[in-house]
Amino acid sequence: MSIFLIFLAGILFLAGVLFIKPRAKQDKTWKTVIIWTLYVIFFVVACMGVSFVYINASVGHVKATSTAIFLFGGISLVLAVVLARVLGFIGTKKKAESLKA
Amino acid sequence: MSEISGNKEKEPKQQFPVSRRGFLRTGAAVAAMGVMGAIAAPSKMANATVSTLGYEAAGKGKWSKLKPKMSYGGASVSFVEHNDQWLGTSKLLGPVQRTDEQDGGFCLAIRGILGEKAKYGYFQQASRYPMASAFLNPTGAISGPEMVDGPVSPEKLPIPDPEQMSQHIKDLAYYLRADEVGIGKMPSYAYYASTMAPPQGAYAAGAVPPDAPISKAPVTGNLPNVIVVAVEQHLETYLATTGYDGISNSQSFRCYHATANISVIMAQYIRNLGYNARAQHFGNYEAVMGPCLIAAGMGELTRTGDCVAHPRFGFRTKVAAVTTDLPLAPDKPIDFGMLDFCRVCKKCADECPSKAITFDVDPVEHNGYLRWNTDAKICTTFRASNEEGVNCGRCIKVCPWNSKEDSWFHEAGIWIGSKGQGAAKFLKGIDDMFGYGTEIVEDYKWWLEWPELYKIKMPS
Repeated sequence: MSIFLIFLAGILFLAGVLFIKPRAKQDKTWKTVIIWTLYVIFFVVACMGVSFVYINASVGHVKATSTAIFLFGGISLVLAVVLARVLGFIGTKKKAESLKA
Repeated sequence: MSEISGNKEKEPKQQFPVSRRGFLRTGAAVAAMGVMGAIAAPSKMANATVSTLGYEAAGKGKWSKLKPKMSYGGASVSFVEHNDQWLGTSKLLGPVQRTDEQDGGFCLAIRGILGEKAKYGYFQQASRYPMASAFLNPTGAISGPEMVDGPVSPEKLPIPDPEQMSQHIKDLAYYLRADEVGIGKMPSYAYYASTMAPPQGAYAAGAVPPDAPISKAPVTGNLPNVIVVAVEQHLETYLATTGYDGISNSQSFRCYHATANISVIMAQYIRNLGYNARAQHFGNYEAVMGPCLIAAGMGELTRTGDCVAHPRFGFRTKVAAVTTDLPLAPDKPIDFGMLDFCRVCKKCADECPSKAITFDVDPVEHNGYLRWNTDAKICTTFRASNEEGVNCGRCIKVCPWNSKEDSWFHEAGIWIGSKGQGAAKFLKGIDDMFGYGTEIVEDYKWWLEWPELYKIKMPS
Protein backbone atom coordinates (compact mmCIF):
# COMPACT_ATOMS: atom_id res chain seq x y z
CA MET A 1 0.00 0.00 0.00
CA SER A 2 2.73 2.45 0.97
CA ILE A 3 4.60 1.74 -2.28
CA PHE A 4 1.43 2.48 -4.25
CA LEU A 5 0.91 5.72 -2.32
CA ILE A 6 4.49 6.83 -2.96
CA PHE A 7 4.02 6.03 -6.66
CA LEU A 8 0.75 7.99 -6.67
CA ALA A 9 2.44 10.93 -4.95
CA GLY A 10 5.15 10.96 -7.62
CA ILE A 11 2.59 10.88 -10.43
CA LEU A 12 0.55 13.67 -8.84
CA PHE A 13 3.67 15.78 -8.34
CA LEU A 14 4.55 15.47 -12.03
CA ALA A 15 0.94 16.15 -13.06
CA GLY A 16 1.00 19.28 -10.93
CA VAL A 17 4.24 20.42 -12.51
CA LEU A 18 2.77 19.98 -16.01
CA PHE A 19 -0.44 21.72 -14.96
CA ILE A 20 1.14 24.90 -13.59
CA LYS A 21 4.14 25.09 -15.90
CA PRO A 22 2.38 27.14 -18.64
CA ARG A 23 1.46 29.82 -16.09
CA ALA A 24 4.50 29.62 -13.81
CA LYS A 25 6.84 31.72 -15.93
CA GLN A 26 6.67 35.32 -14.66
CA ASP A 27 8.22 38.60 -15.74
CA LYS A 28 10.58 38.53 -12.75
CA THR A 29 12.72 35.53 -11.88
CA TRP A 30 12.04 35.82 -8.14
CA LYS A 31 8.31 35.54 -8.79
CA THR A 32 8.86 32.33 -10.75
CA VAL A 33 11.02 30.98 -7.92
CA ILE A 34 8.34 31.86 -5.36
CA ILE A 35 5.67 30.06 -7.38
CA TRP A 36 7.69 26.88 -7.64
CA THR A 37 8.70 27.08 -3.96
CA LEU A 38 5.06 27.53 -2.98
CA TYR A 39 4.11 24.56 -5.12
CA VAL A 40 6.77 22.31 -3.52
CA ILE A 41 5.80 23.40 0.01
CA PHE A 42 2.11 22.86 -0.77
CA PHE A 43 2.82 19.42 -2.15
CA VAL A 44 5.06 18.36 0.76
CA VAL A 45 2.53 19.57 3.36
CA ALA A 46 -0.32 17.84 1.53
CA CYS A 47 1.59 14.55 1.28
CA MET A 48 2.69 14.72 4.92
CA GLY A 49 -0.91 15.36 5.88
CA VAL A 50 -2.25 12.43 3.89
CA SER A 51 0.42 10.13 5.33
CA PHE A 52 -0.11 11.39 8.89
CA VAL A 53 -3.89 11.05 8.67
CA TYR A 54 -3.65 7.62 7.03
CA ILE A 55 -1.29 6.18 9.67
CA ASN A 56 -3.09 7.70 12.65
CA ALA A 57 -6.49 6.63 11.35
CA SER A 58 -5.27 3.07 10.77
CA VAL A 59 -3.88 2.87 14.34
CA GLY A 60 -6.99 4.46 15.82
CA HIS A 61 -5.68 7.78 17.15
CA VAL A 62 -9.00 9.64 16.77
CA LYS A 63 -7.91 13.03 18.10
CA ALA A 64 -4.64 12.97 16.15
CA THR A 65 -6.53 12.10 12.96
CA SER A 66 -9.12 14.87 13.30
CA THR A 67 -6.55 17.46 14.41
CA ALA A 68 -4.27 16.54 11.50
CA ILE A 69 -7.13 16.86 9.00
CA PHE A 70 -7.73 20.43 10.17
CA LEU A 71 -4.04 21.31 10.55
CA PHE A 72 -2.55 19.85 7.39
CA GLY A 73 -5.76 20.30 5.41
CA GLY A 74 -5.99 23.95 6.47
CA ILE A 75 -2.38 24.76 5.61
CA SER A 76 -2.66 22.95 2.29
CA LEU A 77 -5.87 24.79 1.43
CA VAL A 78 -4.40 28.21 2.22
CA LEU A 79 -1.30 27.44 0.16
CA ALA A 80 -3.43 26.11 -2.70
CA VAL A 81 -5.59 29.24 -2.75
CA VAL A 82 -2.53 31.52 -2.69
CA LEU A 83 -0.92 29.50 -5.47
CA ALA A 84 -4.10 29.48 -7.57
CA ARG A 85 -4.47 33.23 -7.15
CA VAL A 86 -0.86 33.92 -8.11
CA LEU A 87 -1.13 31.64 -11.13
CA GLY A 88 -4.35 33.30 -12.18
CA PHE A 89 -6.66 30.32 -11.80
CA ILE A 90 -8.95 32.36 -9.52
CA GLY A 91 -9.69 36.08 -9.22
CA THR A 92 -8.64 37.04 -12.75
CA LYS A 93 -12.18 37.76 -14.01
CA LYS A 94 -12.72 40.47 -11.41
CA LYS A 95 -9.37 42.01 -12.29
CA ALA A 96 -10.18 42.02 -15.98
CA GLU A 97 -13.57 43.63 -15.31
CA SER A 98 -12.05 46.35 -13.18
CA LEU A 99 -9.49 47.07 -15.92
CA LYS A 100 -12.33 47.34 -18.52
CA ALA A 101 -14.17 49.82 -16.32
CA MET B 1 49.96 -29.90 -37.23
CA SER B 2 53.55 -29.31 -38.13
CA GLU B 3 52.48 -26.30 -40.15
CA ILE B 4 50.79 -24.80 -37.15
CA SER B 5 53.74 -25.42 -34.94
CA GLY B 6 55.91 -23.96 -37.67
CA ASN B 7 53.79 -20.80 -37.63
CA LYS B 8 54.20 -20.56 -33.92
CA GLU B 9 57.89 -20.76 -34.20
CA LYS B 10 57.84 -17.94 -36.73
CA GLU B 11 55.91 -15.62 -34.32
CA PRO B 12 58.07 -12.99 -32.68
CA LYS B 13 58.63 -13.56 -28.96
CA GLN B 14 56.25 -11.52 -26.78
CA GLN B 15 58.01 -8.86 -24.80
CA PHE B 16 56.82 -7.11 -21.61
CA PRO B 17 58.51 -3.80 -21.66
CA VAL B 18 58.46 -2.25 -18.16
CA SER B 19 59.30 1.38 -17.76
CA ARG B 20 60.90 2.64 -14.56
CA ARG B 21 57.76 4.62 -13.71
CA GLY B 22 55.52 1.58 -14.29
CA PHE B 23 57.80 -0.54 -12.11
CA LEU B 24 57.60 2.00 -9.27
CA ARG B 25 53.81 2.25 -9.56
CA THR B 26 53.43 -1.52 -9.39
CA GLY B 27 55.74 -1.61 -6.37
CA ALA B 28 53.71 1.08 -4.56
CA ALA B 29 50.44 -0.77 -5.26
CA VAL B 30 51.84 -4.04 -3.94
CA ALA B 31 53.13 -2.29 -0.81
CA ALA B 32 49.71 -0.67 -0.20
CA MET B 33 47.98 -4.04 -0.56
CA GLY B 34 50.47 -5.51 1.90
CA VAL B 35 49.73 -2.78 4.48
CA MET B 36 45.96 -3.23 4.08
CA GLY B 37 46.34 -6.97 4.46
CA ALA B 38 48.34 -6.49 7.65
CA ILE B 39 45.66 -4.15 9.10
CA ALA B 40 42.89 -6.64 8.30
CA ALA B 41 44.86 -9.59 9.62
CA PRO B 42 43.98 -9.42 13.38
CA SER B 43 40.22 -9.76 12.81
CA LYS B 44 40.73 -12.56 10.32
CA MET B 45 42.99 -14.33 12.77
CA ALA B 46 40.38 -13.89 15.48
CA ASN B 47 37.78 -15.36 13.15
CA ALA B 48 40.08 -18.24 12.39
CA THR B 49 40.41 -19.18 16.07
CA VAL B 50 36.73 -20.07 16.30
CA SER B 51 36.36 -21.18 12.71
CA THR B 52 35.95 -24.74 13.91
CA LEU B 53 32.59 -23.66 15.36
CA GLY B 54 31.38 -22.52 11.96
CA TYR B 55 31.02 -18.96 13.15
CA GLU B 56 32.12 -15.79 11.45
CA ALA B 57 31.44 -12.48 13.18
CA ALA B 58 29.52 -9.65 11.55
CA GLY B 59 32.62 -7.47 11.42
CA LYS B 60 34.19 -4.84 13.61
CA GLY B 61 31.84 -2.16 14.85
CA LYS B 62 28.66 -4.03 13.90
CA TRP B 63 25.99 -4.47 16.58
CA SER B 64 25.32 -8.12 15.74
CA LYS B 65 24.75 -10.37 12.76
CA LEU B 66 20.97 -10.40 12.96
CA LYS B 67 20.88 -6.66 13.62
CA PRO B 68 24.02 -5.04 12.22
CA LYS B 69 22.91 -1.57 13.36
CA MET B 70 21.20 -0.80 16.65
CA SER B 71 17.91 1.07 16.17
CA TYR B 72 17.36 4.04 18.46
CA GLY B 73 14.06 4.90 16.79
CA GLY B 74 14.97 8.32 15.45
CA ALA B 75 16.53 9.66 18.65
CA SER B 76 19.73 11.62 18.42
CA VAL B 77 22.05 9.45 20.51
CA SER B 78 25.58 10.06 21.75
CA PHE B 79 27.76 7.77 23.85
CA VAL B 80 28.86 8.80 27.33
CA GLU B 81 31.03 7.56 30.14
CA HIS B 82 30.72 4.98 32.85
CA ASN B 83 33.18 5.89 35.61
CA ASP B 84 33.21 6.78 39.31
CA GLN B 85 31.52 10.14 38.66
CA TRP B 86 28.99 9.27 36.02
CA LEU B 87 26.88 6.31 35.12
CA GLY B 88 25.77 7.44 31.68
CA THR B 89 23.94 10.71 32.21
CA SER B 90 23.33 10.01 35.91
CA LYS B 91 25.64 12.06 38.10
CA LEU B 92 27.21 10.13 40.98
CA LEU B 93 27.79 12.40 43.97
CA GLY B 94 29.48 9.89 46.22
CA PRO B 95 29.60 6.21 46.88
CA VAL B 96 26.31 4.60 45.94
CA GLN B 97 25.29 2.15 48.65
CA ARG B 98 24.00 -1.29 47.77
CA THR B 99 20.39 -1.55 48.84
CA ASP B 100 18.42 -4.30 50.51
CA GLU B 101 15.71 -5.82 48.35
CA GLN B 102 13.28 -5.75 51.26
CA ASP B 103 13.39 -1.91 51.23
CA GLY B 104 11.99 -1.83 47.67
CA GLY B 105 8.39 -0.72 47.03
CA PHE B 106 6.47 -4.00 46.88
CA CYS B 107 8.64 -5.55 49.60
CA LEU B 108 7.50 -2.74 51.88
CA ALA B 109 3.92 -3.71 51.04
CA ILE B 110 4.67 -7.36 51.81
CA ARG B 111 6.15 -6.38 55.16
CA GLY B 112 2.97 -4.48 56.03
CA ILE B 113 4.71 -1.08 56.20
CA LEU B 114 2.32 0.43 53.63
CA GLY B 115 -0.81 -0.69 55.44
CA GLU B 116 -3.00 -3.76 55.55
CA LYS B 117 -4.85 -3.03 52.30
CA ALA B 118 -1.62 -2.70 50.32
CA LYS B 119 -0.27 -5.85 51.98
CA TYR B 120 -3.24 -8.05 51.14
CA GLY B 121 -3.69 -6.35 47.78
CA TYR B 122 -0.17 -7.44 46.87
CA PHE B 123 -0.68 -11.00 48.13
CA GLN B 124 -3.87 -11.27 46.07
CA GLN B 125 -2.42 -9.78 42.86
CA ALA B 126 -2.46 -13.10 41.08
CA SER B 127 -5.82 -14.28 42.33
CA ARG B 128 -7.51 -10.95 41.54
CA TYR B 129 -7.04 -11.39 37.79
CA PRO B 130 -7.11 -14.81 36.11
CA MET B 131 -4.42 -13.96 33.57
CA ALA B 132 -2.01 -12.75 36.24
CA SER B 133 -1.73 -16.12 37.93
CA ALA B 134 -1.50 -17.73 34.49
CA PHE B 135 1.71 -15.77 33.94
CA LEU B 136 3.03 -16.01 37.48
CA ASN B 137 2.88 -19.79 37.79
CA PRO B 138 5.27 -20.54 34.90
CA THR B 139 7.49 -17.63 35.99
CA GLY B 140 7.63 -19.15 39.46
CA ALA B 141 8.71 -22.48 37.94
CA ILE B 142 11.90 -20.88 36.60
CA SER B 143 12.66 -18.74 39.63
CA GLY B 144 14.34 -21.26 41.90
CA PRO B 145 18.07 -21.02 42.64
CA GLU B 146 18.73 -24.12 40.55
CA MET B 147 17.16 -22.36 37.53
CA VAL B 148 18.94 -19.01 37.74
CA ASP B 149 22.34 -20.43 38.61
CA GLY B 150 24.12 -23.76 38.48
CA PRO B 151 27.33 -25.65 37.87
CA VAL B 152 29.65 -24.47 35.11
CA SER B 153 30.85 -26.84 32.40
CA PRO B 154 34.47 -27.86 33.01
CA GLU B 155 35.24 -27.52 29.30
CA LYS B 156 35.85 -23.84 28.63
CA LEU B 157 35.38 -22.32 25.16
CA PRO B 158 38.42 -20.18 24.30
CA ILE B 159 37.29 -16.65 23.46
CA PRO B 160 40.04 -14.66 21.74
CA ASP B 161 37.78 -11.79 20.67
CA PRO B 162 35.24 -10.48 23.24
CA GLU B 163 33.61 -8.22 20.62
CA GLN B 164 32.87 -11.25 18.50
CA MET B 165 31.36 -13.05 21.50
CA SER B 166 29.28 -9.94 22.29
CA GLN B 167 27.79 -10.05 18.81
CA HIS B 168 27.02 -13.72 19.25
CA ILE B 169 25.33 -13.16 22.63
CA LYS B 170 23.25 -10.30 21.24
CA ASP B 171 22.11 -12.53 18.40
CA LEU B 172 21.22 -15.20 20.95
CA ALA B 173 19.05 -12.64 22.75
CA TYR B 174 17.20 -11.73 19.54
CA TYR B 175 16.87 -15.43 18.73
CA LEU B 176 15.24 -15.91 22.14
CA ARG B 177 12.77 -13.15 21.19
CA ALA B 178 14.21 -10.22 23.12
CA ASP B 179 13.15 -6.89 21.64
CA GLU B 180 16.45 -5.33 22.64
CA VAL B 181 19.70 -6.27 24.31
CA GLY B 182 22.76 -4.51 25.62
CA ILE B 183 25.98 -5.45 27.35
CA GLY B 184 27.60 -3.42 30.11
CA LYS B 185 30.24 -3.38 32.78
CA MET B 186 28.35 -4.45 35.89
CA PRO B 187 28.31 -1.55 38.39
CA SER B 188 29.18 -3.01 41.81
CA TYR B 189 26.35 -1.03 43.46
CA ALA B 190 23.80 -2.60 41.10
CA TYR B 191 23.98 -5.76 43.21
CA TYR B 192 21.65 -5.82 46.18
CA ALA B 193 23.32 -5.91 49.60
CA SER B 194 20.79 -8.57 50.45
CA THR B 195 17.78 -10.19 48.85
CA MET B 196 14.52 -10.93 50.56
CA ALA B 197 13.85 -14.51 51.49
CA PRO B 198 11.35 -15.74 50.42
CA PRO B 199 11.54 -13.60 47.21
CA GLN B 200 8.77 -11.09 46.52
CA GLY B 201 7.65 -13.02 43.43
CA ALA B 202 6.81 -15.99 45.65
CA TYR B 203 4.38 -13.83 47.65
CA ALA B 204 2.79 -12.44 44.47
CA ALA B 205 2.30 -15.96 43.13
CA GLY B 206 0.82 -17.09 46.44
CA ALA B 207 3.58 -19.71 46.69
CA VAL B 208 4.23 -18.79 50.33
CA PRO B 209 1.69 -17.85 53.02
CA PRO B 210 1.32 -14.13 53.79
CA ASP B 211 2.65 -14.61 57.30
CA ALA B 212 5.82 -16.44 56.17
CA PRO B 213 8.79 -15.05 58.09
CA ILE B 214 10.99 -12.69 56.07
CA SER B 215 14.75 -12.74 56.30
CA LYS B 216 17.69 -11.19 54.50
CA ALA B 217 19.96 -13.31 52.31
CA PRO B 218 23.31 -11.59 51.70
CA VAL B 219 24.32 -11.20 48.05
CA THR B 220 27.81 -12.40 47.26
CA GLY B 221 27.66 -12.25 43.45
CA ASN B 222 30.33 -10.10 41.87
CA LEU B 223 30.50 -10.98 38.19
CA PRO B 224 32.02 -8.23 36.01
CA ASN B 225 29.68 -8.13 33.00
CA VAL B 226 25.94 -7.77 32.62
CA ILE B 227 23.79 -8.66 29.62
CA VAL B 228 20.42 -6.93 29.76
CA VAL B 229 17.42 -8.07 27.71
CA ALA B 230 14.21 -6.10 27.28
CA VAL B 231 10.79 -7.14 26.04
CA GLU B 232 8.26 -4.51 25.01
CA GLN B 233 4.95 -4.30 26.83
CA HIS B 234 2.15 -4.60 24.28
CA LEU B 235 1.54 -1.25 22.58
CA GLU B 236 -2.01 -1.75 21.36
CA THR B 237 -3.05 -3.00 24.78
CA TYR B 238 -1.60 0.15 26.34
CA LEU B 239 -3.50 2.25 23.79
CA ALA B 240 -6.73 0.62 24.98
CA THR B 241 -6.18 0.61 28.74
CA THR B 242 -6.46 3.35 31.33
CA GLY B 243 -3.22 1.99 32.74
CA TYR B 244 -4.84 0.86 35.99
CA ASP B 245 -7.58 -1.55 34.94
CA GLY B 246 -7.65 -5.35 34.86
CA ILE B 247 -4.90 -5.89 32.30
CA SER B 248 -2.37 -3.67 34.03
CA ASN B 249 -0.39 -6.23 35.99
CA SER B 250 -0.65 -8.79 33.16
CA GLN B 251 1.13 -6.28 30.92
CA SER B 252 4.06 -6.45 33.35
CA PHE B 253 3.86 -10.19 34.05
CA ARG B 254 3.81 -11.05 30.34
CA CYS B 255 7.18 -9.34 29.90
CA TYR B 256 8.56 -10.61 33.21
CA HIS B 257 7.80 -14.11 32.05
CA ALA B 258 9.34 -13.54 28.61
CA THR B 259 12.51 -11.93 29.95
CA ALA B 260 12.83 -14.56 32.69
CA ASN B 261 12.77 -17.29 30.04
CA ILE B 262 15.42 -15.52 27.99
CA SER B 263 17.71 -14.87 30.94
CA VAL B 264 17.47 -18.41 32.30
CA ILE B 265 18.24 -19.99 28.92
CA MET B 266 21.04 -17.52 28.20
CA ALA B 267 22.66 -18.05 31.61
CA GLN B 268 22.53 -21.83 31.20
CA TYR B 269 24.04 -21.52 27.70
CA ILE B 270 26.92 -19.43 29.04
CA ARG B 271 27.54 -21.93 31.83
CA ASN B 272 27.60 -24.66 29.18
CA LEU B 273 30.36 -22.68 27.45
CA GLY B 274 32.39 -22.90 30.66
CA TYR B 275 31.79 -19.48 32.24
CA ASN B 276 29.90 -18.32 35.31
CA ALA B 277 26.49 -16.82 34.65
CA ARG B 278 23.49 -16.02 36.80
CA ALA B 279 20.05 -15.05 35.52
CA GLN B 280 18.55 -11.98 37.19
CA HIS B 281 14.81 -11.87 36.65
CA PHE B 282 11.59 -10.82 38.33
CA GLY B 283 11.24 -14.12 40.14
CA ASN B 284 14.76 -14.03 41.55
CA TYR B 285 16.73 -10.80 41.35
CA GLU B 286 20.11 -10.33 42.98
CA ALA B 287 20.57 -6.98 41.28
CA VAL B 288 18.71 -3.74 40.65
CA MET B 289 17.96 -3.41 36.94
CA GLY B 290 18.15 0.39 36.59
CA PRO B 291 21.95 0.79 36.77
CA CYS B 292 22.42 -2.38 34.70
CA LEU B 293 20.29 -0.87 31.94
CA ILE B 294 22.20 2.41 31.95
CA ALA B 295 25.57 0.62 32.01
CA ALA B 296 24.50 -1.51 29.05
CA GLY B 297 23.58 1.52 26.93
CA MET B 298 19.88 0.73 27.16
CA GLY B 299 18.64 4.11 28.35
CA GLU B 300 18.59 6.99 30.79
CA LEU B 301 16.85 7.66 34.10
CA THR B 302 13.44 9.35 33.87
CA ARG B 303 11.19 11.47 36.07
CA THR B 304 9.56 8.26 37.35
CA GLY B 305 12.41 7.60 39.78
CA ASP B 306 14.52 4.59 38.86
CA CYS B 307 12.69 3.71 35.64
CA VAL B 308 15.06 3.77 32.68
CA ALA B 309 13.79 4.78 29.25
CA HIS B 310 15.12 3.38 26.00
CA PRO B 311 15.20 5.79 23.03
CA ARG B 312 12.96 3.51 20.99
CA PHE B 313 10.47 2.09 23.54
CA GLY B 314 10.64 4.59 26.39
CA PHE B 315 10.17 2.59 29.60
CA ARG B 316 7.35 0.48 28.14
CA THR B 317 9.49 -2.61 28.70
CA LYS B 318 10.35 -5.14 31.36
CA VAL B 319 13.87 -6.38 31.64
CA ALA B 320 15.96 -9.21 32.97
CA ALA B 321 19.71 -9.64 32.99
CA VAL B 322 22.49 -12.18 33.05
CA THR B 323 25.54 -11.37 35.15
CA THR B 324 28.59 -13.23 33.90
CA ASP B 325 32.37 -13.44 33.63
CA LEU B 326 32.13 -14.42 29.95
CA PRO B 327 34.65 -12.17 28.12
CA LEU B 328 32.51 -9.52 26.43
CA ALA B 329 33.03 -6.06 24.96
CA PRO B 330 30.70 -3.75 26.93
CA ASP B 331 28.56 -1.17 25.14
CA LYS B 332 28.77 2.43 26.26
CA PRO B 333 25.98 4.22 28.13
CA ILE B 334 23.92 6.56 25.95
CA ASP B 335 22.64 10.13 26.08
CA PHE B 336 19.56 10.97 24.04
CA GLY B 337 18.35 14.02 25.98
CA MET B 338 15.93 12.21 28.30
CA LEU B 339 16.90 14.33 31.30
CA ASP B 340 16.16 17.54 29.40
CA PHE B 341 12.92 16.05 28.15
CA CYS B 342 11.73 14.92 31.60
CA ARG B 343 12.70 18.30 33.04
CA VAL B 344 10.03 20.04 30.95
CA CYS B 345 7.42 17.36 30.12
CA LYS B 346 5.95 16.24 33.49
CA LYS B 347 3.07 14.46 31.73
CA CYS B 348 3.55 11.38 33.95
CA ALA B 349 3.34 13.58 37.06
CA ASP B 350 0.17 15.27 35.77
CA GLU B 351 -1.49 11.97 34.93
CA CYS B 352 -0.35 9.82 37.88
CA PRO B 353 -3.54 8.71 39.69
CA SER B 354 -1.73 8.58 43.04
CA LYS B 355 0.27 11.81 42.52
CA ALA B 356 3.42 9.93 43.48
CA ILE B 357 5.58 11.44 40.73
CA THR B 358 7.41 14.61 41.60
CA PHE B 359 7.02 17.96 39.80
CA ASP B 360 10.57 19.03 40.76
CA VAL B 361 12.40 20.66 37.87
CA ASP B 362 15.76 19.10 38.60
CA PRO B 363 16.83 15.69 39.91
CA VAL B 364 17.88 15.60 43.56
CA GLU B 365 20.38 13.52 45.51
CA HIS B 366 19.31 10.03 46.46
CA ASN B 367 21.70 7.39 47.79
CA GLY B 368 24.75 9.05 46.25
CA TYR B 369 23.33 9.86 42.82
CA LEU B 370 20.96 12.34 41.21
CA ARG B 371 17.43 11.28 40.29
CA TRP B 372 13.87 12.55 40.47
CA ASN B 373 12.46 11.37 43.75
CA THR B 374 9.22 9.65 42.95
CA ASP B 375 7.53 8.67 46.18
CA ALA B 376 7.82 4.89 45.93
CA LYS B 377 5.64 4.40 49.00
CA ILE B 378 2.69 6.36 47.58
CA CYS B 379 3.14 4.68 44.19
CA THR B 380 3.28 1.17 45.66
CA THR B 381 0.40 1.78 48.03
CA PHE B 382 -1.79 2.80 45.09
CA ARG B 383 -0.63 -0.07 42.89
CA ALA B 384 -1.14 -2.70 45.55
CA SER B 385 -4.45 -1.27 46.83
CA ASN B 386 -6.04 -0.37 43.48
CA GLU B 387 -9.52 -1.89 43.22
CA GLU B 388 -10.45 -0.35 39.83
CA GLY B 389 -8.19 -2.98 38.38
CA VAL B 390 -4.98 -4.67 39.47
CA ASN B 391 -1.81 -2.62 39.77
CA CYS B 392 -1.04 0.46 37.66
CA GLY B 393 1.07 1.54 34.68
CA ARG B 394 -0.48 4.92 33.92
CA CYS B 395 2.94 6.63 33.64
CA ILE B 396 3.98 4.06 31.03
CA LYS B 397 0.82 4.69 29.04
CA VAL B 398 1.07 8.47 28.93
CA CYS B 399 4.82 9.05 28.48
CA PRO B 400 5.42 10.60 25.02
CA TRP B 401 8.39 8.29 24.50
CA ASN B 402 6.35 5.15 25.22
CA SER B 403 3.04 5.38 23.48
CA LYS B 404 3.85 5.34 19.80
CA GLU B 405 3.66 2.96 16.87
CA ASP B 406 6.45 2.94 14.27
CA SER B 407 6.02 5.80 11.83
CA TRP B 408 8.09 8.50 10.18
CA PHE B 409 6.46 11.30 12.18
CA HIS B 410 7.01 9.63 15.53
CA GLU B 411 10.64 9.11 14.57
CA ALA B 412 10.81 12.78 13.65
CA GLY B 413 9.14 13.66 16.96
CA ILE B 414 11.62 11.58 18.93
CA TRP B 415 14.46 13.26 17.06
CA ILE B 416 13.04 16.67 17.98
CA GLY B 417 12.49 15.57 21.59
CA SER B 418 16.10 14.52 21.98
CA LYS B 419 17.41 17.98 21.02
CA GLY B 420 17.22 19.83 24.33
CA GLN B 421 14.63 21.52 26.53
CA GLY B 422 13.19 23.92 23.94
CA ALA B 423 12.64 21.11 21.47
CA ALA B 424 11.25 18.91 24.26
CA LYS B 425 8.69 21.57 25.16
CA PHE B 426 7.68 21.74 21.50
CA LEU B 427 7.30 17.96 21.27
CA LYS B 428 5.28 17.84 24.49
CA GLY B 429 2.96 20.53 23.03
CA ILE B 430 2.47 18.53 19.84
CA ASP B 431 1.92 15.33 21.83
CA ASP B 432 -0.83 17.00 23.86
CA MET B 433 -2.36 18.63 20.78
CA PHE B 434 -2.75 15.28 19.03
CA GLY B 435 -4.04 13.60 22.19
CA TYR B 436 -1.36 10.90 22.32
CA GLY B 437 -0.92 8.98 25.55
CA THR B 438 -4.16 9.92 27.27
CA GLU B 439 -6.57 8.61 24.64
CA ILE B 440 -8.22 5.20 24.95
CA VAL B 441 -8.52 3.30 21.67
CA GLU B 442 -11.48 1.02 22.35
CA ASP B 443 -10.87 -1.03 19.18
CA TYR B 444 -7.92 -2.74 20.87
CA LYS B 445 -9.71 -3.62 24.12
CA TRP B 446 -9.45 -7.36 23.74
CA TRP B 447 -9.20 -8.54 27.37
CA LEU B 448 -11.92 -9.30 29.91
CA GLU B 449 -12.69 -7.09 32.88
CA TRP B 450 -13.96 -8.78 36.06
CA PRO B 451 -14.48 -5.96 38.58
CA GLU B 452 -15.91 -8.25 41.27
CA LEU B 453 -12.52 -9.95 41.50
CA TYR B 454 -10.61 -6.70 41.95
CA LYS B 455 -11.88 -6.18 45.50
CA ILE B 456 -9.24 -6.94 48.08
CA LYS B 457 -10.33 -9.47 50.67
CA MET B 458 -9.15 -8.40 54.10
CA PRO B 459 -8.71 -11.13 56.73
CA SER B 460 -11.49 -11.04 59.30
